[in-house]
Amino acid sequence: MTKLDVDERWDLIDKISKKTVTFGEYKHTLKDAIGELTVKPLTGIPIAIAVLYGFWSFFSSFAGFFTDGFFVKLFDEHWLLWLQEIFPGKESWLYYIFVGDPSATNCFEAFGVLTSGFFVAIGVVLPAIVAFYLILTLLEDSGYLPRLAVLIDTILHRIGLHGYAIVPTILSLGCNVPAVAATRVLETRKERFIMMTILAIFIPCGAQLGIMKEVIPDTMGFVIFYLFMGYLIFGFILNKIIPGKTPEMLIDVPPYQMPTAQNVGRKLWMRTSSFFKVALPFVLLGCVIVNVLYLTGFIAWMGDILSPLFIGWFGVPSETAGPLIAAFLRKDLAVAQLSAIEMTRYQMISAVVLVSIYFPCVATFAMMLREGWKELLGSIAVLAMVVTLYGGLLHLIWILLGVA
Amino acid sequence: MKRLSSIYFGILGVVTLAFGIADLLVTIGGSGLSFGILEIPCDAFRGGWGGLIILSAGLFYLAGIKNISEIHQLSKVMMGSILIWIVAGLDIFAMITESIPGGDRSWFNTLEGFLETYAPPYTPAIFLLPFSLVVFYYILKKERNILKKEEDEE
Repeated sequence: MTKLDVDERWDLIDKISKKTVTFGEYKHTLKDAIGELTVKPLTGIPIAIAVLYGFWSFFSSFAGFFTDGFFVKLFDEHWLLWLQEIFPGKESWLYYIFVGDPSATNCFEAFGVLTSGFFVAIGVVLPAIVAFYLILTLLEDSGYLPRLAVLIDTILHRIGLHGYAIVPTILSLGCNVPAVAATRVLETRKERFIMMTILAIFIPCGAQLGIMKEVIPDTMGFVIFYLFMGYLIFGFILNKIIPGKTPEMLIDVPPYQMPTAQNVGRKLWMRTSSFFKVALPFVLLGCVIVNVLYLTGFIAWMGDILSPLFIGWFGVPSETAGPLIAAFLRKDLAVAQLSAIEMTRYQMISAVVLVSIYFPCVATFAMMLREGWKELLGSIAVLAMVVTLYGGLLHLIWILLGVA
Repeated sequence: MKRLSSIYFGILGVVTLAFGIADLLVTIGGSGLSFGILEIPCDAFRGGWGGLIILSAGLFYLAGIKNISEIHQLSKVMMGSILIWIVAGLDIFAMITESIPGGDRSWFNTLEGFLETYAPPYTPAIFLLPFSLVVFYYILKKERNILKKEEDEE
């Protein structure tokens, strides 16, 4: 092989480029122009509002179709009745743990591992998670998500984050566990701490959303709004008090393209199956532990101790102590438990908000611990303060409105 | 062609804007309205949020009608249509998901019940849907004209 000098090398480059590159005038296409519309604030914000509407509308219809249309009937009219018939020893603690309340007429209120546990995991969470990850994948593969990151960059800078923070934020609406892992896309410790803390506190996961849709369909909008406001307000405060930098974002925005069915299918399978590998054992184990805590009287004892705080400060009944303790194991199950407690509409909003902002579920807790124990302790300190302040503030709003 | 398209999308823009405003007003009023086969929902989600999107679609149409053949202007008209497709498409998807399950009686709906779900009244977005599809015809026609022009030049 002969060695080429500099001139010969350039000649070779010229020959190759003449054969392989087509030169011409670049024409701005309709796709390019639409792409520009989605990142300019004046036009991009209405488009983002429409995309979020589509996201939510699809989520509700899809999840409602499977949960209300088929799974409720399957679990309540067949699975529960069959279990109640064949499971021996209605008075035993084993029956209480696995089947739950013997007089329950639906899986929601039974609270057994095989009844509520399976119903929540398969009947409620599975459709919600599939719907969520399907839309997320479509947005990602079509090229809209990077544009949303550019569009929202200015707003997120106000809370110490940059546009990429939209990725863990949206992922968190599915499950907080992969969202905590996704905070690694943020460069500085300050950004990662703020993101991890506010997503663990203020963003309800897909499982919670699915249960909220079932239990409090009328007041769900208020709860989401209140959580969203908390996300912005506490993000802003954390940005002011935590030292460190928020770097600017440098992003390569790809052209819009049609997502391929194969890619979407593969991603959907990967995300849904990994969610279930992580979440399903926690749902079932959570049911066992919560039932054991109820059986041993621990939850009633905690309820008695915490009742002055719950009634006086948060304005909710002392019975909500149980679901709050259960929330550490499974937040979705805790929301389901709240539905069985007699409360006013406003107390229910407060209780669901409290369950949502209360300690992250144990799976998220473990994930946060992997990111660093100092960050975890910091997040817990912020969380304790937020729960006390935010829960009290909500109670104050109800008092001022004359409804508490 | 250009003038006709501007007039068409101008009228569509005004109607879309009016529907968006009506959606919002009805939502604020708190009770749904029904005129024959048209129904304006009053819930905060479809009426309020959906109404805001329809209103935005109307504004996109109106912003794009001047010099519509220019690619940036056309993209606004296209975006107006996309917003309508999002709202109408999901209204239709909601109808489909409601029409299949049988409720308390059986697993699946009866044929009568299934067809009943698709009967009017319809939301404003569904009425606007066929008219918004004209944008495809316009883009196709425009592309054909450009190709023809390029061939003539060659």
